[in-house]
Amino acid sequence: MRYIFKFPDIGEGLEEGTIVEWHVEKGQTVKMGDSLVTMETDKVVTAIPSPRDGIIAAKFGKVGETIHVGSALVEIDIAGIDGEAAVAEASKPEPVEEEGAGVVGTLEVAGNNAVLSASKEGLSAGTAKLEKSERVLATPVARALAKESGVNINTVTGTGPAGRVTKEDILRYISDSTKSSTSQAQSKENITSDELKLEIEPLTQIRKTIAKNMIQSKHNAAHMTVFEEVEIAELDRVRKRFKDVYSNEGIKLTYLSFIIKATAASLKKFRALNAEMDMERGNMIYKKYYNIGIAIDTPKGLVVPVIRNADRLSVKEIAKEIQILSDKARDGKLSLDDMKDGTFTITSYGSIGGLFAVPVINYPQAGILGIGRINNKPVVKENQVVPGLVLPLSLSVDHRIADGGETTRFINTIMGYLADPVSLIME
Amino acid sequence: MFNEYNPINNKEFQILNHKGKIVDKDLMPVIKDDDLLKAYKDMLFARTADLQIVSYQRQGRIYTYPPNYGQEAISGAVGALIRDEDWLVPAFREMGAMLAKGVTLKELFLYFMGYEDGSKFSKAKKTLPISVPIASQFLHAAGLGYAIKYKKEKDIVYAFVGDGGTSEGDFHEAINFAGVWKIPVIFIIQNNQYGISTPTRMQTASENLAVKAIAYGVKGIKVDGNDYFAMYKAIQESIKICESGEGPVLIEAVTYRKGAHTTSDDPTKYRTKEEEDIWDEKDPLKRLKSYLITKKLWSDKDEEKIVEQYKVEVDRQFIEAENYGPYPKEDIFKYMYAEMPDDLKEQEKEYERFLEWKASRSK
Repeated sequence: MRYIFKFPDIGEGLEEGTIVEWHVEKGQTVKMGDSLVTMETDKVVTAIPSPRDGIIAAKFGKVGETIHVGSALVEIDIAGIDGEAAVAEASKPEPVEEEGAGVVGTLEVAGNNAVLSASKEGLSAGTAKLEKSERVLATPVARALAKESGVNINTVTGTGPAGRVTKEDILRYISDSTKSSTSQAQSKENITSDELKLEIEPLTQIRKTIAKNMIQSKHNAAHMTVFEEVEIAELDRVRKRFKDVYSNEGIKLTYLSFIIKATAASLKKFRALNAEMDMERGNMIYKKYYNIGIAIDTPKGLVVPVIRNADRLSVKEIAKEIQILSDKARDGKLSLDDMKDGTFTITSYGSIGGLFAVPVINYPQAGILGIGRINNKPVVKENQVVPGLVLPLSLSVDHRIADGGETTRFINTIMGYLADPVSLIME
Repeated sequence: MFNEYNPINNKEFQILNHKGKIVDKDLMPVIKDDDLLKAYKDMLFARTADLQIVSYQRQGRIYTYPPNYGQEAISGAVGALIRDEDWLVPAFREMGAMLAKGVTLKELFLYFMGYEDGSKFSKAKKTLPISVPIASQFLHAAGLGYAIKYKKEKDIVYAFVGDGGTSEGDFHEAINFAGVWKIPVIFIIQNNQYGISTPTRMQTASENLAVKAIAYGVKGIKVDGNDYFAMYKAIQESIKICESGEGPVLIEAVTYRKGAHTTSDDPTKYRTKEEEDIWDEKDPLKRLKSYLITKKLWSDKDEEKIVEQYKVEVDRQFIEAENYGPYPKEDIFKYMYAEMPDDLKEQEKEYERFLEWKASRSK
């Protein structure tokens, strides 16, 4: 007998969770209480233990996929359990479900039984083309694909859990029918090959958050960007001088450490750039603390941890902080505390490439500074063309908060510090 | 003892330190080896059950649950000293004390599965049901205490609240009332450092929580709540005070919630691993265990063996609760009023119509 374990509501009113990590493989024997999978939800990130002893017959969903509460998570073969547990198993009332939700959307659940017959995994599809009168079980992706391809989904045999029609079933059905009906081959072939080129993946939690934040910023802030270049030969000399000393202490001294220091010092002089606007109450909120967010590129997406009170930290302390936060970001260990209360953001895409950009403000902050790729190019010094080391800067501000004059004076100040790093310690 | 540990001096009463060493021989309570061993085993059983319940919840087999993990010594000491004739007024993190009174695990499971029967204790006498509204427990206890005094009985009331509960009006009203009427109530604050995510330092500007007793004119003491002996001794002394008609007593039991506030909470969002490690060193079971091992009363082997037995017993009672059968409709409507008011009758009818509709749909 197989038991479908549905993703439970583990936190008072949850709707869904994202698979972080699987702890079991198909065919693996599990005991009640053994960890099956780690799920990320709005409330907690936690391991989900098995409710039964048995053998894993199927896992539903890949890492990064969203599972709705009440939809299948794991299928466990609980046959052959003897003794007391099995008796209790049999006498246990089946939970009554009104409707379930599928891996990527709402779908119907077969009957009211949590214990279903074995799934027909591996059976060839597309053979039985009898039309069923009832609405068949199918994933939303399969339904959408069927509709687009003009396939009557009721004629497709499902191979998913409880006979559910999957995307693969539809694709197999299409390729089978094109093989059999050569007359339509030409036109069908075009459609199917196009369909095969699509890969539809559900949005991860982090991607949803990024999308929401970007839209909110573009919708609410009046973006204005100014571009500049600053010659940083002197800064480079200072950095090179201390780099190895710091490196012996395990600290990586980057240009970014200096830029953060310079930005924090400049923010203290231009309060509008460290402010936010509360239009509802008609207030401008000037912040007397300087927490600089740094945008970090991770395999899962963009995260922005915050260096707190950057104005009070030395360049060395900032370098240390950057390292700690980057390590945490890479390991996916950033906590909410690491990412909240930023007052200004720096994004240094230049370490990957790109000279100038139009960065999107980390709303409701007033500005974001983009750091471009540092490059060698000729500069004019004392009427002589000499080789120079040039850092491109792109500063986006919320024009509701900061005017043009203030914005350019702010970037000039940052450039002043970077061109002459000694002035930073004179502050 | 209450003078020596006047909370105004912010001195925490401790007998067994976190290394399992006795640091205050003079105040060490006299406990027979067998009784001590039983107390340890009771706490171990509560911990085993507690950890397993969190797992059941994650399996979707039980609703929201507030873990006791790390706070077992407080309930353990109360459990060892509370008598049948005494009243227990639990909040929701006192499993050990409830089990000691005779509440069964199965009944607790039923409660967390949403059954009314989970509050109907078959064996436990004079035990109020779990009360979730914060600090309401102290008012209930004050009422019971007043009744005891009025009826000239000898019972004592044990009531629990968390550190967050000390910010409620109920807390003030109850202790103030109890102080005026000198009623036999032992008010116990389980200061587990957080009211959900609010740390104790954000909860009050007072030096500690026990110091609040002074304002009410009652005896108070701050105790290491992870020290079984200190808790035992503090309660023993509190009983004497209550019996001499000088109650109530306010005990601040300093402990740490090693688990989450409830299964819907993620403590990593508001506290650090370093902090958890520090408190792990002070764990109540660890230190009593090392004391018992030094006294050759216990061994790792004994523990391993008995935990396995406990796990089986916890599962057994859980499966019994899981098979308890459908939830009677009356439980939702019938028990609040002697005679059901019209609007409630209307709601009951509406619910019946919903059930019919649901049944017709699943055919």
